[in-house]
Amino acid sequence: MRNTYLWFMQLITGVLIAVLLGIHMVLMHLDAILGFLGVDVTKVTSWESMIERSNQGIWAGLYIALLAVVLYHALNGLRKVILELTPSARAGRVTTWVIVAFGIVTFIWCSYVPIALLSA
Amino acid sequence: MRQTQPRRNYLGAVGWLWAGNYKVERYLYILHRITGLGILLFLLLHLIMTTVFRVQGQDVWEAAMAVLNNPWFKIGECLVVIAFVYHALNGLRLILQQLGFLMVRPAPSIYPYRDSLRKKRSWTMAMIAVVVILALVFFYDLVVGGW
Repeated sequence: MRNTYLWFMQLITGVLIAVLLGIHMVLMHLDAILGFLGVDVTKVTSWESMIERSNQGIWAGLYIALLAVVLYHALNGLRKVILELTPSARAGRVTTWVIVAFGIVTFIWCSYVPIALLSA
Repeated sequence: MRQTQPRRNYLGAVGWLWAGNYKVERYLYILHRITGLGILLFLLLHLIMTTVFRVQGQDVWEAAMAVLNNPWFKIGECLVVIAFVYHALNGLRLILQQLGFLMVRPAPSIYPYRDSLRKKRSWTMAMIAVVVILALVFFYDLVVGGW
């Protein structure tokens, strides 16, 4: 039952990531084609453009939400890859808790940064 | 009486690369796993870039971006994008098929068998075609936009 729930979360986060990162990939990696269509996105990686976004709460919220969704999907996927090697139940539990701890630490650090930069 | 042994179908870690008796879907599954792990590796680098290097100010950020501004890294980024496109579209196919869409109605198993796999496979091939087209679009942008 618990694994079914985790799997279903994997599907939902997968759809969210496909949409949000799909937009991200089009903006970041189709810049030449978007340029033909009159949309200029070549300046978004400049420092000034980043500072502009760092000061807006909506961007910080978006980063943290995307971080939570992506970290869940990525680390649950990694966990399933490792558990498919059918380690012992004990090794499986250790794997799960190591990955959960890594996820929590990563989430705290990577969501602290945009919050701290809001007032920087 | 001679006992019939069940066919050994468990490939273990060997099944990560070799599909055994399975067909094309198994290779898509292997590719799904490889692209997933590759994107995870990129995600970690991406998070280090946008946090550790980002908080150290403009000079450190621009120095780091200058290091990454070379053809090899741009080709690598393009590969990550193509891996993402594949992982996303194959993932959507898996969601639809795991929830029971894009399959034929179950029928009695009378010869010649009409399995749901063939019906599924035409959608699978359509998915592969879309992945190839999108990969070419992103590669075209890489070439046009400069290495």
